[in-house]
Amino acid sequence: MSNKDFLTKTLTETALTRRSFLKWSAALGGTAALAGGISYGLKAAEAAAEKAATEGKWVPAACWGNCGGRCLNVAYVVDGVVTRQKTDDTHPDSPDYPQQRGCSRGRSQRMRVFGADRLKYPMKRAHWEPGGGDKSLRGKDEWVRISWDEALDIVASEFKRIIEKYGPESILWGTDAIAAAGGYVNAWGSSSSGTWAYTGPRVIGDYGNSGNDRLDMRKSKLIVMWSTDPIISSGGNPCYNYLQAKKAGAKFIFIDPWYNNSAQVLADEWIPIRPGTDTAMLLAIGYVLITEDDPAKNPLIDWDFVNRCTIGFDASTLPEGADPEDTYKDYVLGLDVNGKPAAEGHKNFPPKTPEWASEICGVPPEKIRSFALEIAQTKPVAFMESDASARVNSAQTIGQAFVAIASMIGSIGVSGGGTGRTRHGTAGNIGPNLIRAGSAGTTIEGPDNPVSLSINNNELWDAVLNGEYTSSVGERTKINIQLIYHTKGSHLQTKVGQAKGIQAMRKVEFALCQDFHLTTGARYSDVILPVTTRWERDNYITNPNRDALFWMDRVIDPMFECKDDSWIDREIGLRLGVYDPTVQEISDKQQAFNKIAGATVLAEDGVTKEALVTITKEDLDALGVTGEPQTGRIPIMEFKAKGSYQVPRKEGDNYTSIAHKEFREDPEANPVETESGKMELHCRKLAEDIYNLGWSKIRPIPEYIPAERGYEATFSDWKNKVKGEYPLQMFNKHYWRRSHTEFDNVLQLREAFPQEFIMNPIDADARGIKNGDTVKITSSEGSSIRHVLVTERIMPGVTILPHGAWTEYDEELGVDKAGSDNYLEAGVPSVEGHSGYNSQMVQVEKWEGPRLLPDSQWPQRIPIKEV
Amino acid sequence: MLREFALITFTILAQMSVGAFLVLGVVNFFVVRKAGQVEADRMVDRSLVAIIVVLGLGMLASLFHLGSPLSAPSAISNFTTSWLSREILFGVAFGVLSTLFVVLQWFKIGPVVLRNVIALLASLVGIVFIYAMSKIYMLPTQPAWNTLATPVSFFTTALLLGSLAMGAAFIPNYAYLKRKNPDCAELQCDLMRSMLRWIAFTAVVLLGVEFVVTPVYLVSLASGSPQAVESARLMAGELGLPFLLRMILAFAGAGVFGFFLYQNAQSAGREKVLGYMVYAAFVLVLAAEVFGRFLFYSSQVAVTL
Amino acid sequence: MAKQLAFYFDSSACTGCKACAIACKDRSSLPVGINWRKVYDYGGGGWIPSPAHPEIMLPNNVFVYSTSTSCMHCEKPRCVEACPAKAITKRDDGVVLINSDLCIGCRYCEWVCPYGAPQFNEEKGYMTKCDFCQELQEKGLNPVCVDACPMRALGFGELDELRQKYGNVNAIEPLPSADITNPSIVITPHKNSQPSGQGTGRIIKLTEV
Repeated sequence: MSNKDFLTKTLTETALTRRSFLKWSAALGGTAALAGGISYGLKAAEAAAEKAATEGKWVPAACWGNCGGRCLNVAYVVDGVVTRQKTDDTHPDSPDYPQQRGCSRGRSQRMRVFGADRLKYPMKRAHWEPGGGDKSLRGKDEWVRISWDEALDIVASEFKRIIEKYGPESILWGTDAIAAAGGYVNAWGSSSSGTWAYTGPRVIGDYGNSGNDRLDMRKSKLIVMWSTDPIISSGGNPCYNYLQAKKAGAKFIFIDPWYNNSAQVLADEWIPIRPGTDTAMLLAIGYVLITEDDPAKNPLIDWDFVNRCTIGFDASTLPEGADPEDTYKDYVLGLDVNGKPAAEGHKNFPPKTPEWASEICGVPPEKIRSFALEIAQTKPVAFMESDASARVNSAQTIGQAFVAIASMIGSIGVSGGGTGRTRHGTAGNIGPNLIRAGSAGTTIEGPDNPVSLSINNNELWDAVLNGEYTSSVGERTKINIQLIYHTKGSHLQTKVGQAKGIQAMRKVEFALCQDFHLTTGARYSDVILPVTTRWERDNYITNPNRDALFWMDRVIDPMFECKDDSWIDREIGLRLGVYDPTVQEISDKQQAFNKIAGATVLAEDGVTKEALVTITKEDLDALGVTGEPQTGRIPIMEFKAKGSYQVPRKEGDNYTSIAHKEFREDPEANPVETESGKMELHCRKLAEDIYNLGWSKIRPIPEYIPAERGYEATFSDWKNKVKGEYPLQMFNKHYWRRSHTEFDNVLQLREAFPQEFIMNPIDADARGIKNGDTVKITSSEGSSIRHVLVTERIMPGVTILPHGAWTEYDEELGVDKAGSDNYLEAGVPSVEGHSGYNSQMVQVEKWEGPRLLPDSQWPQRIPIKEV
Repeated sequence: MLREFALITFTILAQMSVGAFLVLGVVNFFVVRKAGQVEADRMVDRSLVAIIVVLGLGMLASLFHLGSPLSAPSAISNFTTSWLSREILFGVAFGVLSTLFVVLQWFKIGPVVLRNVIALLASLVGIVFIYAMSKIYMLPTQPAWNTLATPVSFFTTALLLGSLAMGAAFIPNYAYLKRKNPDCAELQCDLMRSMLRWIAFTAVVLLGVEFVVTPVYLVSLASGSPQAVESARLMAGELGLPFLLRMILAFAGAGVFGFFLYQNAQSAGREKVLGYMVYAAFVLVLAAEVFGRFLFYSSQVAVTL
Repeated sequence: MAKQLAFYFDSSACTGCKACAIACKDRSSLPVGINWRKVYDYGGGGWIPSPAHPEIMLPNNVFVYSTSTSCMHCEKPRCVEACPAKAITKRDDGVVLINSDLCIGCRYCEWVCPYGAPQFNEEKGYMTKCDFCQELQEKGLNPVCVDACPMRALGFGELDELRQKYGNVNAIEPLPSADITNPSIVITPHKNSQPSGQGTGRIIKLTEV
């Protein structure tokens, strides 16, 4: 309690006192009979009552966020309620054999499942009528509880009516039942992967999740971490694995606009770089290597790899029919087909010197040069990046530019090296799984979706509003969406152009959502169906990473009136007359058993597959499934109780994986899956496929394309460096409060991580903004207000709005108060149609309107207040 | 909110009570020498009762800063190491002794000497009470409070408020005596005027102390630890207005009205004006002290996480 | 029986992820507003124009490191001295505990503690703080924060043994000087850690209303 509390309470007492919000959180804070096992800090009487309630059971529980960790969660269940959690303690912890420890988000899982804001029963909008009624009330209306029958009847009748009136091409998103009833339109486009979705398979031959395993990493002498922050994006062990490499002697260089949280532990050096300009720097690195390489006196380039394993470096390896000026080398050096310096206006002009790159990316030329020399001269070097730099408008060629450097510095296919995306579950530990689940045993496939129409994410909301979208080169197709079905994804929150998305939601005749909280998609819908969480369902079997396999069944029974998505689908199908009752699905329990029974684990020789579990007849009876007894490594019931089996590792074991090792040794015998079988620094297919999508024409080599809404766009006059209407860059880094958009409603996470907008002191001072002020952030799409964190960790000229906050648009103030990233983001269709979240530009000013409450004091979204 | 105002109320009322008790003791001493015990009693007895009532209210107010007030009695348990326990113990002791004295005095029980010994004891305990109160705040984690300015200002508050409160109490006391016992009125008036001159003088001197201590205190804060500097900054910044008001009110009350009080107390026949002067002085200084105590708590910037 | 139980904290491995703080909140069902374990980012530095290229701004000694703190179960616990109701005691094994039955909620310990350890629970009317997970320790288990840390930056044990193993550092910014209460903690400093009281940075966080 500081003077600030005393002072501000005296001078500015607000209506929402601490007492009232504590009451809200007490609903789930584990007070009353549900408090989790402590006696100190509680009065003796309470403690006694609590003791009686604490005889419970530890049950493995899914941690089901779409993050890189998905670590081991265990829930303490007392009378059908989870009162406490713990993480992995299934084996002693060591660097070689680390426990799969959860992060702040996973540790808060019970707050989601048991939150006071959990959706309990089906609801409809108070002012809803068939056809929508007053659709402008979507997002603002009151909610009315209805029965499942009424809800499903409404859903079915609206679907029928709309399909009949407009055809199935008017339905956006759907499930098996909707597919069977005629189909639905989809949305497409890479979100997480940025431009790696197209570039990876065509340039490298896989999605680029390539690199070496965590033990091999310890042999690195230098690890480059380009636009990656594993401790946040891939909670759990990845950053810890990198720490072991550091302890074994690896130097770390981080390249990022923000001195990130992994960097503060790992980085020996931080090179700040402007978002969206990475390709320029990569090309300049190439320039340094090519111009300064001397195989005899100063060898910088791994010519052996370049010559044998890549195509397109120079004219000698161009594919047939290629434009001879489209070589990597000529483009980087700025040469024409005769090897002479290209004239201004020539497509290879100018030479991609460090000076040229520096103007764009903000890294001094000397640094670009010394960095280039360092990565070329240090062996072995791992050259890793994460998708953030590829989630930029028009940044199609960054992957290719990255691989070009990797090819030259010899980081591909060697021990202690590695090149690729270090992200999600494979962050810092890449290789074939050491342990795999078997098949679920189900032979039933869902019906095909007869509608093949799919709208790119960047055009999606415009398509709903204006009735057409780009289907191919020069081709626009008409579309009339009248039903939006939020299923299996928080689309309205996660897609760019949210401001338009809200308008789109208010245009269609019917909007339906399945969810367990009043998320953005739910809020703007007409009918909401409450679903069960992973803690209320069986059959969650997953590899958090290559080392382990998890098995979690339900922790508790379904809460309130929540139903499984599959049940809902069946019921809708019944009412639409498309459900075939003769088709029997194998139960979740049986599917889970099948997967475990068929699970295999690599023996110590690293080659032989062994069955994971031993199963007896008694086990089959106890589990209530059909199957055959078998012998394996551990008893099945032991695995079920622990929820996890992790393959023990140690230095020198046979589980090492070095990506592209065989390819490097013999690319003809072990080609990568590109068109040429080699890594393509000139990629014909990429250019062709991009062109056919209809938005961009790119060269087959990694040309630098300034991003729309990128650094260059912040200037009204680039030459004289005069800033324009939106002078600051903004990107959306991942954030510990959330896994994408999940967890945003959890009070203790809102307290620990307050969704601050981040600015550099130079930019803040120029606007009279101090740390903690409320600021207004404006983009071409709208405005948001947020508290600002002023810190030197972010480079000047760049701001951060963390990804995933649920929009809270205030009609009166005309701003989004929550700091939803996609509210400010625009849909910019370019190259492969990916979402360029990290290329947006904004203006920022001090907010003179009503003060924002701290996030943890906002009322929870409880749609119907219980009396 | 409640907690902070409880502490302001308690500390001000408790300090004022002790100060008033000491002042009455001094007044009693001089009046006895000048005019005898009976006149002294007439001047002082009613005010004594008022002190006890105010002290009681202050103690009650302190309960409101506790999270579990029903457990309050256990608060003297840690007398051996805790200044807070000591303060409560001495506070209760002062309350008991001063009440005992007032009861004996009111009902004239026991010899005067005994009563005076009890009063002296109560006074000493009262002084230790205020000292213990100030020691509570002199913590290494509280740079804004961990200076000599704390005990100095606590004692100053006690004496300043105590003397002006008693000065103000003399007026209705005199009015009562004039009605009930007209024979002594003239003598009482002289005595009262004499005491009021001393009180006015004391108030001006103590005002001077405050006006010397304040800048020295602020300067020492401004050149101290980051937390101390922040406290000083607050007092110039967000707390600037209350700070200014505090100084102006104190000057107006103790300085201006104190001066006029002194002037008017020099000759007889101006009792009504005297009343206005001393009431005004007391009210203004009370307001100043409340602001001052408010500043004391508001400028707290602790060495903590 | 330990003489003085203490925490070990490796600031060079801490990313500021708060898994420790959340694990503690979860175990004790702490409401918003009460955090027995807290994590602070401390940093500073500035940006200056590159000497050779004045239009490019470069970080000048920009640094950040994180510190995870809880009750320090100090060797010289001022809270024990100061509590008027004797509600805070120090056990033989060095752990400092609040007995909520005796606490009167006067919040004096809050003023006295340089680490912000005792925190007032408004709902209940008494002070609460880290108790070294003493109930778990009785069962032979570790404090939850120690077991939670994904970077393994937290440990605990006998203070003397920890000092032998890891050295004597027990104060870095933003922690206060160790002279006030002799905290029972051993810290491995981050390469950018600054000594208490000599910091050139500040705690980087929102100043919330």
